[in-house]
Amino acid sequence: MNLWRLEWLRLLRTRSWIALAAVFLFFGLLGPISARYMEQILQRFAGEVSVTLPPPTPASGLEQYLGNVMQIGLLVVLAVAAGALAFDQPIERAAFYRSRVRRVWTLLAPRYVVVTLATVAAFVLGTVGAWYETVVLLGDLPVGAMLLGMLLTSLYLAFAVAVTAAVASFVRTPLAIVPIAAGLLIAVPLLGLIGPLRDWLPSVLLGSLVGLAVGVPPIEYARPALVTLAVTAVLLGLAAARLQRREL
Amino acid sequence: MTPPVPVAGDAPPIVATYGLGKDYGGVAALADVDLVVPRGSVYGVVGPNGAGKTTLLSILVGLKQPTSGSVMLAVERERIALVPDTPSFEPWLTAREVVALARSLVGLAPSAEAVDATLRRTGLADAADRANGGFSRGMLQRLGLAAAMAGEPTLLVLDEPAAALDPAGRRDVLDLVSDLRGGTTILFSSHILVDVQQVCDTIGILREGRLLFQGRTRDLLAGKAAPAFTVRLRPPVDGVVDALEAAPWVHLVERAGLDRLRVTVASTDAAETELVRSLADAGARVVGIAPAEVDLEHVFLELTG
Repeated sequence: MNLWRLEWLRLLRTRSWIALAAVFLFFGLLGPISARYMEQILQRFAGEVSVTLPPPTPASGLEQYLGNVMQIGLLVVLAVAAGALAFDQPIERAAFYRSRVRRVWTLLAPRYVVVTLATVAAFVLGTVGAWYETVVLLGDLPVGAMLLGMLLTSLYLAFAVAVTAAVASFVRTPLAIVPIAAGLLIAVPLLGLIGPLRDWLPSVLLGSLVGLAVGVPPIEYARPALVTLAVTAVLLGLAAARLQRREL
Repeated sequence: MTPPVPVAGDAPPIVATYGLGKDYGGVAALADVDLVVPRGSVYGVVGPNGAGKTTLLSILVGLKQPTSGSVMLAVERERIALVPDTPSFEPWLTAREVVALARSLVGLAPSAEAVDATLRRTGLADAADRANGGFSRGMLQRLGLAAAMAGEPTLLVLDEPAAALDPAGRRDVLDLVSDLRGGTTILFSSHILVDVQQVCDTIGILREGRLLFQGRTRDLLAGKAAPAFTVRLRPPVDGVVDALEAAPWVHLVERAGLDRLRVTVASTDAAETELVRSLADAGARVVGIAPAEVDLEHVFLELTG
């Protein structure tokens, strides 16, 4: 038993892995179907009005999937991450760890890495499901673009977990951590309103899977990827520094 | 800063604090505390609720930073184990997993034999593979002790370890602490003075963040307690109480049952010359007089009252 196994057991025994896998797989399977049959679905609710949509493309299957999963799925990710990263609650449990471990990074690293890997695994599972259904219902998707898109979107998810870690160093309870982290992630794209920042933001990576599938050059995502990597490292450093100084 | 005065005749300290202070928003939780914990001792930190006991222990184990003063530890941090008043672990971990985790956190090799031995020693062998989320308060306290002992600590810090336990649970915890005596230095906070008197050889009394006394328990009981006598009488005793309370050499008269009084006096000499005469003058029907056994509770009340 060590801190890495502890985090693995946390995923298994709190059923967090089921929540993560279920939400990503559900939207992965639902997205392409809803894109394929969106016209018929809307027509059922439109009554006498005739609904005509452009014919669905393979990219629209992915768009449907990502549109849902990056809202509800991301909230589940934040909740799972907050549950693991709010390690100063309750205080008596925190005392067990904090009084025995000199560097807080020893505690933070396994919690961050295991939650991030589980999130990425769930995302890949959902994306493979969406990919399969898209191919069956809507047409082929370029393999290289899909793999690179999954990598870049995974980088964004790692950033989202790092945001949660940083927030956990300011507030202690998961109930406070989740809405603040969600608010920050929503606020990041708003920085794009400042013209020069638009192409550098981590949120640009959220569009990479669809963008690469429709032929956007990969180099377009180099800047936000580098920024996301750097900001993730800074956020983790901030979290570690603040948690190291925080008193119980 | 002046180093704290070592407890006379004791081993060199494993922990000492120098002018330790801690403020919470301008309110002093600790003020100028010079604590000296001799290596190998069972040191009891006693004080009423809010005296600063938990704050003091938290600073010693590194969970809080002092506002002023410093801490000298003659032991590596990894060799210090804390048991909080209500130990808590991930509820889905088994007792065996908690103890194994506690070993790995301080860098000890995983050893099924060592884990099993610790669980046996704390009476948890039968519950080794049960998730601790279903444990009673007493079992959690034992698990807290097991997790602490698993790290083979040089200094074991126990914060109110028996405060919320039933008598049997309390007895078990005190027995465990007694068993550890000698091999491990134990720092033990409590407001249950009977417990402290039973297991601690050295004592520090805290009130409102200040260390009022520090020394050997036996010295405290012998040197700090005002002399007292237990007087057994045939009832009624009301008139006798009034007469004794009026005597200038009597500090306090406490009823200890229908036929028993505890008379705290200014000096043993005064009592030996005046007590019998005063009882006779008050018309008391005396069954017996004996020096009262000094207990920590009376000493504590005198120091903190």
